[in-house]
Amino acid sequence: MSQRNERSKHAALNSATHWLIHQAARRAPETLSSRLEEEWLADVESRSTALSGLRFAVGCCWASLVIVSEYPRSRVPAASPVAAASPVAAASAVAPASGYFSLADRNFRYFSLRSATLFLIAGLHAALFYGLITTLSHTPRIAAPPHLQNQPVAPVPRTKDLPPVPGTDLKDWTIHVPKPVIDVPKKMDIDVDVPGELSDKPNEVIPEPRLPPITPSHVVQRLAGGPGAGFPETADFYPSHSIRLAEEGISTVQVCVDRRGRLTSEPTTLKGSGIERLDEAALKLARAGSGHYRATSEDGQPVNSCYAFGVRFQLRK
Amino acid sequence: MGKKETRVRMSLQTLRVLEAFLENPTEQLAGAEVHQRCGIASGTLYPILLRLESAGWFVSQWESIDPSSAGRPRRRLYRLTSTGLRHASEVFASFNRGVLA
Repeated sequence: MSQRNERSKHAALNSATHWLIHQAARRAPETLSSRLEEEWLADVESRSTALSGLRFAVGCCWASLVIVSEYPRSRVPAASPVAAASPVAAASAVAPASGYFSLADRNFRYFSLRSATLFLIAGLHAALFYGLITTLSHTPRIAAPPHLQNQPVAPVPRTKDLPPVPGTDLKDWTIHVPKPVIDVPKKMDIDVDVPGELSDKPNEVIPEPRLPPITPSHVVQRLAGGPGAGFPETADFYPSHSIRLAEEGISTVQVCVDRRGRLTSEPTTLKGSGIERLDEAALKLARAGSGHYRATSEDGQPVNSCYAFGVRFQLRK
Repeated sequence: MGKKETRVRMSLQTLRVLEAFLENPTEQLAGAEVHQRCGIASGTLYPILLRLESAGWFVSQWESIDPSSAGRPRRRLYRLTSTGLRHASEVFASFNRGVLA
């Protein structure tokens, strides 16, 4: 049973092989068609297995395509019936065919048909791969905001009138303010002591003393300055000799600072610590802090000012 | 009748086919035998054989047997011509000079 199956399979493959070779030969140029079919049918007999023969037939299909592309139809010589009948005569008839000359010419193409096809397929794959890569690696860009433009806003139609607020629907109203009642004594005895002598001249005009104009009083909100952000650390200016001798103290330094926190003059020691090294170190610290002072502000506006602050040199216990 | 073009593009497969024929330049080989010696697939082999034949490097003829008595169809046999032998020798000589020498 299995042998019959094998045999039928073998026969099917053989028939497919012969059919393919026949089709391939039919595609070949007319003058070569019969020759190639006979040649390929003879060569396929040498194949050991039916599958190998089938593969051979598929190759023949490709070979016929290549031959057709290289063989110009305009130069196909007429097939000789004598050549087909006599093997020896056929050999001499086909060999010098002028159509082969062009076949030789086409051999100088840079790529063969198969190579060109392979390159084309490889190129298509590369293009597809590149497209996929660039698509996948695409990062969404943030859209630039549109230019700001003044656009008229359409009036919003009032869809519903709001209910009146209770108590506000007074059309005619009057405010009655009671008249203040002031009890004024009808007669007052006032004793006035006038220094000096009164002038005897009647209706003498006494000039009134001129008073300075009264200006409305204004309290300036003044916020004193001091060391600000980025001001150097005191520890960085602690004299090493003082550290060894455990010298401590507070040196009060006076500085004049502009609106941008920079020194406008040389800082001076307002009250020394009693140790000259510490006072010198405090002055160095004050100089180094130029640009990092917080300016004094008046009503929120920084102004040039001079102020004092204490620099404490104290060792950690 | 113009002069016959004898130049052939030399691919690796063409060189292998020529090498198979150069082993015994007077020997006639069928396509199946060339396939067995070179291992080139039929889709590549037969166009090469036709190119070399059209260039005058090969000549081909049918096998002179009686198919009925031999029990198989006649085969197409290819043989190197004197021109083909000369050109093939030059090609391999140039390769030896350029690559191997």
